[in-house]
Amino acid sequence: MPGRTRPIEKFAEAVTKCSAEASIYGKCIAADYNGVYKDKCLTEFMKLKDCFTAAAKRR
Amino acid sequence: MKPASLRPFLPRPAIRRRLPRPSRQYALQTPGASMLQVFSDQTKHLQRERAASNAEASRRVDYLRDEVATRLCERLLDVKRHFPSVLDLGANACNIARALTVPTSDSPPLSTRLSHLTSADTSPTLLHRDANLPFNTLLPSHTRTILPPADTPLPFEPKSFNAILSSLSLHWVNDLPSFLSQINKILKPDSPFIAAMLGGDSLFELRTSLQLADLDRRGGVSTHVSPLADIRDIGGLLTKAGFRLLTVDVDDIIVDYPSVFALMMDLQAMGESNAALTAEKGGLRRDVMAATEGIYRELHGDGGESVPATFRIIYMIGWTEGGGAE
Repeated sequence: MPGRTRPIEKFAEAVTKCSAEASIYGKCIAADYNGVYKDKCLTEFMKLKDCFTAAAKRR
Repeated sequence: MKPASLRPFLPRPAIRRRLPRPSRQYALQTPGASMLQVFSDQTKHLQRERAASNAEASRRVDYLRDEVATRLCERLLDVKRHFPSVLDLGANACNIARALTVPTSDSPPLSTRLSHLTSADTSPTLLHRDANLPFNTLLPSHTRTILPPADTPLPFEPKSFNAILSSLSLHWVNDLPSFLSQINKILKPDSPFIAAMLGGDSLFELRTSLQLADLDRRGGVSTHVSPLADIRDIGGLLTKAGFRLLTVDVDDIIVDYPSVFALMMDLQAMGESNAALTAEKGGLRRDVMAATEGIYRELHGDGGESVPATFRIIYMIGWTEGGGAE
């Protein structure tokens, strides 16, 4: 879509910039994916979230 | 001890009013009406209309439909006959019509072996999206028919088609048994029904990643990917609908995407987003989306830049009774 970027595209771009954090979070979940419960990987996710929030602001 | 009751103290009319109880009966299915609704037809219609209104984006994601339409037409090639009248049911953007006009290496295009093609779909915008493209003139005769909403009967005369094709649309039909028997009725005797539908473990990578992301972020699982028919059910369904000489097989198409977001945006542009009635209103939360990206890449990615997505296509061929085929 020329001239206009959808908000979701901006968000996607911000998350893709945080591949290192996303990978750490993914590894945390994948380590025991049969025993996932709420906030199992909260610290890892918060790092990821901090990263993509910052990345979204930067642009 | 008898439990205390207010009954002796109640005025007479209050007691009497409760007396005429409705008699209890077993619930029976009305013929033709669907008992079980899985998908919202209204939502699906809007998604497809909206997706097709952006023709450029919609054409960009035709890769899956074009590929499946081509593979479906290869199966039609095996039937050595001439078809006077063919119906493409759930035509999407007439992808089958386009595939029929493409010449193969050892034979002329299939369109030379049919006299008339009817492409029918519920979404007018999607159906007429490519009405002005050159492939339309290559077909001997081609009409586009807009189908009524999903739960009304098909607007075709019984025994009016020599073959019915359907590519990637049956997976949104709520009442598949009734739909298939309608198809059986509008086919002439000894005629093939050849269809491809998404099924079984399609998008299992996305399904599992979303479930894990949902569990970790929100503590529960919600429907983000619509349920699909299983290959084991297809044979039974076709037999019940009256088809004979069945052939059912499965084909996996694995597509690599740069990210989960690209996959989800492509599905949306195809008009194939989730339309399950149990779907959460408002869609995916961003936290869950970001979590899904990380999990998907870790669980299913091959360590490279891209992530794979599996589309499992179920092909089915069934023949109507009669003639010399048996």
